[in-house]
Amino acid sequence: MKINRFVSIPWHLIFIATIFILIFPIIFAVGSSFKSLQDAYNNVLNIIPIQPTLENYQIFFNSLPAIQITVNTFIIAAVVTIFKVITSFLAAYAFVYFQFRGKTVLYFLLISTIFIPFTVTMIPNYLIISKIGLTDSIWGVILPQLADALGIFLMRQSMKTIPMSLIEVAQLDNLSHVQIMRDIVLPLIKPAVTSTGIWFFISSWNEYVWPVLILKTTDNFTLPLALQMYISSEGGTNFTVAMAVSVITMIIPLALYLAFQRYIVGTFTSSGIK
Amino acid sequence: MSALTTGVKRFNRENWKAYFLLFPSLLIFAFFMFWPFIYTIYLSFFDWNMISPTKEFVGLQNYIDILTDPKSYNIFGNTFIYIAILLVLNCVVPYVFAFVIDMVLKRFKGFYKGALFMPAFISLVVGSILFTWILNPVSGPVAIILGWFGLEMPIWSKMDGWVIFVLSLITSWKVFGYNFIVLYASINGISRELIEAARLDQVPLWRIFFQIVLPMSSATGIYVFIITIVQGLQYVFTPIKVITQGGPNYASSNAIYHAYHEAFVLYRTGHSAALSILTMVIFLVLLFIEIKFVERGIYYEN
Amino acid sequence: MKEIRFENVWKSYGKTEVVKGLNFTIKEGERLILLGPSGCGKSTTLRMIAGLEEITSGELYMNDRVVNDVPSGKRDVAMVFQNYALYPHMNVVDNITYGLRVQKVPRSETRNRLDAALKMLKLEGYENRLPKDLSGGQRQRVALARAVVKKSNYFLLDEPLSNLDAQLRVSARKELVKIHELYRQTIVYVTHDQIEAMTVGDRIALMNEGKLQMLDTPENVYHRPANIFTAKFIGSPPTNVVEVTYLDGKIMFGNQSFQLSPMWVKQVEQSKTSKVAFGIRPEHLEINKTANKNTLKGTVKYVENQGNSYGVYVDLQGDEVIALSESKYWSQGETVYLKPFMNHIHLFNCETTNSIGYPAELDQEETTLERVLIHE
Ligand SMILES: Nc1ncnc2c1ncn2[C@@H]1O[C@H](COP(=O)(O)OP(=O)(O)O)[C@@H](O)[C@H]1O
Ligand SMILES: [Mg+2]
Repeated sequence: MKINRFVSIPWHLIFIATIFILIFPIIFAVGSSFKSLQDAYNNVLNIIPIQPTLENYQIFFNSLPAIQITVNTFIIAAVVTIFKVITSFLAAYAFVYFQFRGKTVLYFLLISTIFIPFTVTMIPNYLIISKIGLTDSIWGVILPQLADALGIFLMRQSMKTIPMSLIEVAQLDNLSHVQIMRDIVLPLIKPAVTSTGIWFFISSWNEYVWPVLILKTTDNFTLPLALQMYISSEGGTNFTVAMAVSVITMIIPLALYLAFQRYIVGTFTSSGIK
Repeated sequence: MSALTTGVKRFNRENWKAYFLLFPSLLIFAFFMFWPFIYTIYLSFFDWNMISPTKEFVGLQNYIDILTDPKSYNIFGNTFIYIAILLVLNCVVPYVFAFVIDMVLKRFKGFYKGALFMPAFISLVVGSILFTWILNPVSGPVAIILGWFGLEMPIWSKMDGWVIFVLSLITSWKVFGYNFIVLYASINGISRELIEAARLDQVPLWRIFFQIVLPMSSATGIYVFIITIVQGLQYVFTPIKVITQGGPNYASSNAIYHAYHEAFVLYRTGHSAALSILTMVIFLVLLFIEIKFVERGIYYEN
Repeated sequence: MKEIRFENVWKSYGKTEVVKGLNFTIKEGERLILLGPSGCGKSTTLRMIAGLEEITSGELYMNDRVVNDVPSGKRDVAMVFQNYALYPHMNVVDNITYGLRVQKVPRSETRNRLDAALKMLKLEGYENRLPKDLSGGQRQRVALARAVVKKSNYFLLDEPLSNLDAQLRVSARKELVKIHELYRQTIVYVTHDQIEAMTVGDRIALMNEGKLQMLDTPENVYHRPANIFTAKFIGSPPTNVVEVTYLDGKIMFGNQSFQLSPMWVKQVEQSKTSKVAFGIRPEHLEINKTANKNTLKGTVKYVENQGNSYGVYVDLQGDEVIALSESKYWSQGETVYLKPFMNHIHLFNCETTNSIGYPAELDQEETTLERVLIHE
């Protein structure tokens, strides 16, 4: 395809500008997190700190149980991810490789929950968690997050791309379902499973709405909740500390993304959503 | 052995395995999705403050309250403004971007894809805080640069209209990349021969977009349209909660935030439940209209 | 007995009936070809044998047992799929031996079978390649090897060669026959290609619209088609079949008539049919520029180059028939005279579309049993 330069150059400019707008806040946060408050106010446009300091990080670690908070966030995200990957995989497998009564209805029912606003289930979930005494605990944060049909949807999509004849060959060899899952289906959709897992991990890591309702004491906080403590609408005196906490909150998701970028973009663009 | 019994027997023998595999998911969904859903409908007919041991049955009063309160119209109005802005920023723009990157440009495609998707991985609380500072009307970098040109930054968090626009921008920063990648996937799946043939016939780009790409990716287009509305409004919750708490005077509140506000700030579970149900019904109606409307021209990929 | 028997087997998907009452037996150790146009239910039939599709009604016997409810893995069946169905993430060796490992076949035995299969199918040197790094022919052979090492008593193949080019297909056919002579499994082989059916099959089961049309040797399917469908389906260009009237030993084509030989007259009289369909293969229809005794007059519509001969389309009073000729000098609109070879005609009952049978005298004529060359 031949494309006129007059067409492509303006587009390149638009994309670069967009990417600048999208990425600038990240760079800005990293820069500011190493500035003293005064430096941050006086040299707003100097992204690179004149006198780099770790003071902001120290304040965070001294004033809050920062390590505990990071560990909490990690545990919640890890448990949610492992659980959702496993249950979604099993459910997707059932939907793809079994014929059973009520299959279509059940699938539709599960998938339609993706489109239910969280406020519809928010109050009863809160009541359930209080009732079983899990308020202000990481399990109270974990449980309701597990009801998520996105994984079932994504994994079913990618399982459907496996030719049925591969499964039939396995059936002729008298393989059990466990063997088919382990030796055939899982290896073949590994990229999709990994990407879905990373997506789950990051969504849970970043989750804010539900933890904010459930968690009360700082010892149980997650990173987004800790971050929220440094907010005041005017920017406030804790602004550079907030930037440091932001950096800590962002670092794992960004590292995961950069490490698995090709994988993730590949999965989302190939198995995709259809 | 008759045909029927053979079939049914076979059917049932495998049946239990499928339910066994589905069991963990169904259990979780039953407790944290289906039961809460039903219980919210139930609560919407009661007056209850979440603490008192008794609930008072009020029939449709909660719904009537909401539908007669002028504030509700304010909030539904806001909700539609949010939807409109989010649709432009997270549906229309990524559609065009995905088309251009996939079919018009030849270079830097990988870089653009990777960079545009990146913010999708970052917490919206982080995003809210970063933008609060970057868009700080007095001392933020944007205000300073505008100052060079003698322009003054509006105090957006205190101004009707502006506040919704900025909060939508912040949300778009996060949501944009996911929608873009999904749309890109769909457009990338369209047969190249078709596009090549159109180009050989000198069909202009905008026509290719409207007459080939749009119809052929419409199933994904509808999906993105729906999640932009449904999930976009939920994502906006975070910046509202973090930055404005719905203010000034409900000017930035939307239906989702307000349902939260009713439940956990004002402790009026009945109002909150009724509002949530109404919101969902409005979503459903929107989806229904959209699907009906587009169905004629729809083209399902695979 | 490692035979397979269908007893009134039906298969439907919801309301669509795909296989309608199959009744036949596949003999132990034979190569049976399931042949028919695409969509006629061949794959469905094969997959019912494999246990991959449920049987809607009727009984399927394998080894003298009803197997309707026996799962695939317990049917002693190996299958080769049209798309080969190789595991993309396993190399050649793993693809071939994975099933054996799961079945807990002893290591040394697995090794022996693998080596034999690799050698026979010329796959040595490719052991560690992934399917994506193999050519179509090699993939096909890996699929074959994987099925062979199972040493199953039943060997099912669903259009195994249809993704290969013409030359590879010829050699693969030979390979397959070679394997069979070695192991003597009961083979059921699905194809829509009649050349493949003729060359590979001991017997051919011809299907159409879910029904068995004919089950016999390739010779009989070709020379003694049991019905109009079989006559038309086998051979290229297809058999000419024209509805005619039988009157006093004569076949009436409109106002022309054609005298049948006494043995045919007897055959028709016996069958008591008056509305008959007359069938003749293009290669058994002589075309001449001059009239002769017992010929039919027609006009040339057009001529088609068939490679080694020319197909001449002739209008015979409204019916179109094809005759094969060595010569290409036929011009459109020209009047020609057609002479069917009396020993090679086929007569069918118009109502039932079934053959009225063949005169016993024909069996003595060795010409009919000579294997006819079919052009690819
Ligand atoms: N799962 C199915 N659901 C509905 N119809 C089917 C299904 N599988 C096959 N068919 C139909 O059954 C008929 C026979 O299919 P098949 O056995 O694959 O034909 P063949 O192998 O002879 O080409 C076809 O018309 C096909 O459309
Ligand atoms: Mg088939």
